[in-house]
Amino acid sequence: MKDGAARWAPMAALLVILVVVAFPFYWMVLSAFTPRAVLFRPPYQLVRLDLSLENFRDLLFATEFLVYAKNSVLAAVGAIVLNVVAATLAGYGLTRFAFRGKRTFAFGTLFSYMFPPMLMAIPLYILFSALKMRNTYLGLILAHMAISLPLNIWIMWQYFQIVPLSLEEAAWVSGASRLRALREVCLPSARAGILSVAIFAFALSWNDFTFAFILQTDRHMFTLPVGLATFVEQTAIHWGMVMASAVLVSVPTFALVFFLQKYLLSGLGMSAK
Amino acid sequence: MVAYLPIGYAIALSFVKKTAFSPVTTFSGLRNYRLIVEEPELWGALWRSLVFTAGAVVLQLALGLVAALLLNRAFRGRTFVRSIFVLPYLLPTIVVALVFQWLLNQEYGVVNQLLLESRLLTRPLNFLGGLDTAMWSVIATSGWQYGSFATLLILARLQAIPPKLYEAAKVSGAGPLRCFWDVTLPNLRTTLVLVALLRGIWMFNKFDTIWLMTRGGPLKATETLPIYAYRLAFEEFDFGMAAAACTVMFVILVAGAVVYFRLFDPSREVEVGR
Repeated sequence: MKDGAARWAPMAALLVILVVVAFPFYWMVLSAFTPRAVLFRPPYQLVRLDLSLENFRDLLFATEFLVYAKNSVLAAVGAIVLNVVAATLAGYGLTRFAFRGKRTFAFGTLFSYMFPPMLMAIPLYILFSALKMRNTYLGLILAHMAISLPLNIWIMWQYFQIVPLSLEEAAWVSGASRLRALREVCLPSARAGILSVAIFAFALSWNDFTFAFILQTDRHMFTLPVGLATFVEQTAIHWGMVMASAVLVSVPTFALVFFLQKYLLSGLGMSAK
Repeated sequence: MVAYLPIGYAIALSFVKKTAFSPVTTFSGLRNYRLIVEEPELWGALWRSLVFTAGAVVLQLALGLVAALLLNRAFRGRTFVRSIFVLPYLLPTIVVALVFQWLLNQEYGVVNQLLLESRLLTRPLNFLGGLDTAMWSVIATSGWQYGSFATLLILARLQAIPPKLYEAAKVSGAGPLRCFWDVTLPNLRTTLVLVALLRGIWMFNKFDTIWLMTRGGPLKATETLPIYAYRLAFEEFDFGMAAAACTVMFVILVAGAVVYFRLFDPSREVEVGR
């Protein structure tokens, strides 16, 4: 009897926690597909089958969701490209060249990764107002880089250390320039690093609320998080539509987790340790 | 460095008088700091920041520890269950905020419905709009969102504990509780401190979750330091004062970071040469 309890108690506990973790996801998806007329007439059933796409139709055709989506995608793409280029070059330079103050630089990189967005967003607002860079893609991308670049440099720094110098020397001997050797020898070996940089840059840009909220004050420049926040400011909130938008915004997250499961689990451990 | 320019500017700004309405910027020395220290709202916000941080970090650690211990056992479908546990941490904050606002809604929320049906409540609670419940609601939300960060790190550490240690403990007659106390916990200590420190630093400066769920309300019940700084800058348009509030946050961040670098020295992970 005692043995049985010892075996089943942990599984039961796991089940309880799993329900707590998974229920919000389930409820988000279920509400997104529940017709408006039913959604506002509780009590709800926890399982239902009379689902419809009504909320998604309202979202796509009656709101500016697609404008916000375009802005979010542009900002994310820009952040990925600039982060990959800058982090690769910086990481390469940090591994291969000796210069003074490297330790300070390593410290500064890690420390700036802890900076909270609010601490940077207020000064950036004033700075960008003066430079006329508020409500521009470039401004938002630069702001997103301010939080993601330090860790990305860190990641590339670690990856280039694994690439043996002898490989590169072989390329130099056969007449390749430094940049060509970097492109054709180092980059292929550091591909996993570049992929994590791209993922991290995307995730930070896609998830960011604070910077976009403060810097993008023009409705047409809102990103998804800022635009979605305006949906719940109205007096009569169309909750089904709000949940539909939440589902669409989390699609990239779900895709990332399920395609890169193993990779993410190890990568996250590394970057956060 | 992109990241340091704004911070430097903010600190410089905290020494001047600058509002959105006056084009002139005048040097005012420590005036902003004197004003802000005399401001009872600052101390209120600081106190609420501490309450929020302590509550959220304790909850995240507790959830993370329990979940990691359970996930470390062998069972079927473990990889799938593990990836569900990773999801909340990677989800955009806006999604978390919207879903929890819906779950906790007073009239239509399913949480209220379940509590009423199970007779734990007699009438629906206004979770996010109630003076007593708003802070607990945002703490619970961030516990759900970031508990998975703790789970990830603790799980990684658990898997690195050599099984030999457990065998040795069992041979000397230790029960499961004893094993946990004498083998698991000492091995986890560093990780737990690390998670508490990092999460503490990040929760203390958390803006988006709280703002999106309550706007700092009701009646400032959830107005933490970052929200106070935001209001100074964009509702009262006093950038000098806002920068002073930011600098207060920065000083506390530096204190946390000093502890972090002293304890863990993460720069050992790269070869820095000399």
